[in-house]
Amino acid sequence: MKTWLVIACVSAVTYLLRASFIVFADPQKFPHAFRQALRFVPPAVLAAIVAPGLLLAGGVIDPSPRNARLLAGLVALAVAARWRHPLAPIAVGMPVLWLLQWAMG
Amino acid sequence: MSPRSEFLAGVRDIAPVLLGTVPFGLVAGVAAVSAGLSALEGLALSLFAFSGIAQLITCQLLAADSPVIVTVGAAFVVSLRLLMYSAALSPHLAHLNRRWRALLAFLMTDQSFAMTMHIATQSDRPHFHWHFLGAGVTLYCAWQASVALGIAVGAQVPPAWSLDFAVTLTFIGLLVPAVRTRADLAAGIVATAVALLAAGLPYRLALVVAAIAGIGAGLFVEKKGAHR
Repeated sequence: MKTWLVIACVSAVTYLLRASFIVFADPQKFPHAFRQALRFVPPAVLAAIVAPGLLLAGGVIDPSPRNARLLAGLVALAVAARWRHPLAPIAVGMPVLWLLQWAMG
Repeated sequence: MSPRSEFLAGVRDIAPVLLGTVPFGLVAGVAAVSAGLSALEGLALSLFAFSGIAQLITCQLLAADSPVIVTVGAAFVVSLRLLMYSAALSPHLAHLNRRWRALLAFLMTDQSFAMTMHIATQSDRPHFHWHFLGAGVTLYCAWQASVALGIAVGAQVPPAWSLDFAVTLTFIGLLVPAVRTRADLAAGIVATAVALLAAGLPYRLALVVAAIAGIGAGLFVEKKGAHR
């Protein structure tokens, strides 16, 4: 029962956020400070999602060159900066990770 | 371009993005099974929430038996970027009727947002909302099929494939174009540092704290720049 409640609430939240301005509100009517803060949501949230995926291994920060995910992630960051195609990091990052994992045994 | 050719162009333009959608969907499907959701529950979450990162966080927190309010709150924070996308797109969709807007809002994702913003600003595309629809429906179907496959194969995906890394790479592909100014960079760097330092917090609260700290840093740097 709890699972279904969570599914219903999460679905409602994601839809209401998507629909917020497109369906219901006029962005011009929102306070200036709020609109300014919104602009930094993508870099902040996306970085907060990416960082643990590269640097956390089993709950511990691992910045060493033995961390294959960090190395493959840095290559993917460079690739993304050079070719601004959303797929470039996946097309390059996955093979690099597999290669590193194979090389490091 | 006619509505029909816009729709087909949308299908065609989103096709390369599916290379990233399929592994991400597989990961989301596997995560639902690993979290103890039934196949029906996993599919329902995917069909109605239609958001990879919100689905992943929900599954992780359900697996940890977190309170409902915490789980929904975490899904809210990771989905806040949809609010920002909604604000950016709304002026381009304002001429459509409410039914169209309600439908396109449901289909809006990181990928279709970026694509539609690019097309909506071109002056000679009066039917561009059909392009949005074609891309959105295609992505929706591909996403649901990959999540269903992930649920079906469940824990049989070998860990050595490191498929979950495709999720991190997907977000790297979104993060880099989102960093355009020094203030954006400050937001990203501070969010990174806080996400790592606060990693020990329960209920994935680190993500929430890091996002708020990053937004604050962005605002601070921008304000400093303006006063110079």
